[in-house]
Amino acid sequence: MQDLLIIAVHGIGAGAIFALVGMSFNVVFNASGILNFAQGNLLVLGGLFALLTLPGEPSVTGWLVLLPIAAIVLAALVAIQGGITLLPLRSSVEQHSWLITTLAASVIISGVLMIYQGSAQPTVHSPFAGFRLMGMRVPASYALATLLAILWYVALYLFHTRMLTGLAMSAISQDLDAARAAGLRVRRLQILSFAISGLIVGSAGFVAAPVMAIASDSGISYVMNGFVAAVIGGIGSNLGALIGGFLVGVITSYAAFNYGGEFQDAVALALLVGVLMLRPQGLLGRPAARRV
Amino acid sequence: MSIVPSAQAQDQTIKVGEFLDITGGGASAAEAARLGIELAIQEINQGPGIAGHKIQLFTSDTQTDPTVGVGEIKRLVLQDKVNLVFGPLISQVLLAALPVMNDAKVPGVGSTGSDQITPQNGPYYFSVLINADGQAKAMVAQAEQVLHAKSAAIISDSGAQSKSFVESMKRELAARNIKLTGTQEYQYRAVDMTPQLLNLKRGTPDTLILFASSGEDVGNVLKSLDDLGWTVKVTGNYTVATFADAAIRIAGKEAFTKFDVTGMAYRAFTYCKADELPKPYLDFVAKAKAFKPAEAARLSLPFAAIMYDAVGLFKEAVEANGGKTDGPTIAAWIEANAGKHAGILGPLNGSTTSHFLVGPNALTAVYPARLLDAGMQQRYGC
Repeated sequence: MQDLLIIAVHGIGAGAIFALVGMSFNVVFNASGILNFAQGNLLVLGGLFALLTLPGEPSVTGWLVLLPIAAIVLAALVAIQGGITLLPLRSSVEQHSWLITTLAASVIISGVLMIYQGSAQPTVHSPFAGFRLMGMRVPASYALATLLAILWYVALYLFHTRMLTGLAMSAISQDLDAARAAGLRVRRLQILSFAISGLIVGSAGFVAAPVMAIASDSGISYVMNGFVAAVIGGIGSNLGALIGGFLVGVITSYAAFNYGGEFQDAVALALLVGVLMLRPQGLLGRPAARRV
Repeated sequence: MSIVPSAQAQDQTIKVGEFLDITGGGASAAEAARLGIELAIQEINQGPGIAGHKIQLFTSDTQTDPTVGVGEIKRLVLQDKVNLVFGPLISQVLLAALPVMNDAKVPGVGSTGSDQITPQNGPYYFSVLINADGQAKAMVAQAEQVLHAKSAAIISDSGAQSKSFVESMKRELAARNIKLTGTQEYQYRAVDMTPQLLNLKRGTPDTLILFASSGEDVGNVLKSLDDLGWTVKVTGNYTVATFADAAIRIAGKEAFTKFDVTGMAYRAFTYCKADELPKPYLDFVAKAKAFKPAEAARLSLPFAAIMYDAVGLFKEAVEANGGKTDGPTIAAWIEANAGKHAGILGPLNGSTTSHFLVGPNALTAVYPARLLDAGMQQRYGC
């Protein structure tokens, strides 16, 4: 029982990172129909920002100051990426060049990381001491990532239900053409959605940096698990991504514990296939009508 | 001076392909290997060459991916028409690429350890890495004779060499009547190994056998052990020793003491007393620092030295055969004459039954964190 509790805590911590990536996917998808496959490497860039700006023994104050800066820097970067992605598209829903554009962005980030830091996988130190659970030290970054995931879920919920801009974005997700006809500046809102997703992955990468692999080839693992979390939860549903992320984290950790580390990825993908077979729209997703 | 000779001289060149895992999980080792290979090639090109021929270098990146590796070896062998191949460092990449090298009869030398790499599967390929079986023998001997372990658990990465190692280790442990309490795997670049270690902890082994392929993985295993609060003696493979600096950056030097970590190292890079240091290796270190100071300060120089030595062996083989570079000629010469090679590693093992050029007797257990300049480590028990 004690072992299972430890696995659950680690799984939730790791799953929170996947949940944040999943929500970041959703924000862009809802506004544009685009799945930004650069999310994994953008998360790593958030971690890289922490690596570059935090000293070897960081203070809590310095960390708190740098956290929003990391989020804003990544927001600006992702907004530029979004602008470039959307530029050639008349309608992001009907054309799919974004698939190549977002993958290309991911490859470019990976290449830049490779040139910048080579094959190294540097470590970021947290200003927060871990907490003890059943005689074991749990990294504070897991707790912070979990808290951040919940905070971002609440913030996005309030944004989409209480704020005019958020409501406009929700309108786009329901009917892009109708939203455009109603006079909404669709392209501007879509770029804003990219910026918000940058805020999410920037803050997530910064907070989770001490428990992340900040390397040129580690983004793929985060984007895959984040995507699985988003699909399991139901693409477009932030609550679904939150639950999906925790589920993926806990189940893959349990698989590694009970069956072996070689089964982690297989179990995540089996979970994805299982959910898609039984409930194609995901746990909390909405079934969508399709013109045939 | 450039590694690539002028166009005028290129028709006289021997074409050499670097077939390395420059990106992906094998990248840190590949960077070190590249330093050693390119230093050796520069020295050859600045001198009289190999049998009068200069070397033209072609570089490829397998991305530590067998599928990409097959494409890259085809480019090197079929398009660039290289005469010799150096690399790769990852067994599964090599196993995928061997059919292409075999068909073209191109000789190669890399640093791979899977037991599937045999003279039958790769008649023209040699490895300067001690194979998984040899490492298993040396590590079990350390666990039994020095640590007096009665039981052991194994944690390794998910690479092909590691799978060979686990099978060899099971045989060795059984032969010495040491109980195996559990085995676990992790993926390259994994940061949190807590689930795997928690599972192994249940078996309460006397020692944890660690077989890793990168220093970062070693550091993360030790950090996870520390977080878990499981104080167990760690018996590590050659990566634990060779890439100790990367592990120290993650887990700290104190983790090596806390878990009484040992690693396996080539005797050629070790010392017992600080005033008895290995001169051939020190000479290489000086040349590497002059060649690329920034890389030499950052990378594993023992690993660079291993590949530097490999280039020297091939130079001897080509010169002894009047400039011939075909696989059958080079392989036959190395099988018969590797024992006469006088490089940094000392005499190598050449035979028709094994193409692993370094035997278990070239390994010794070390304290990985007791590092002198350029990665020289103190032998265990000194």
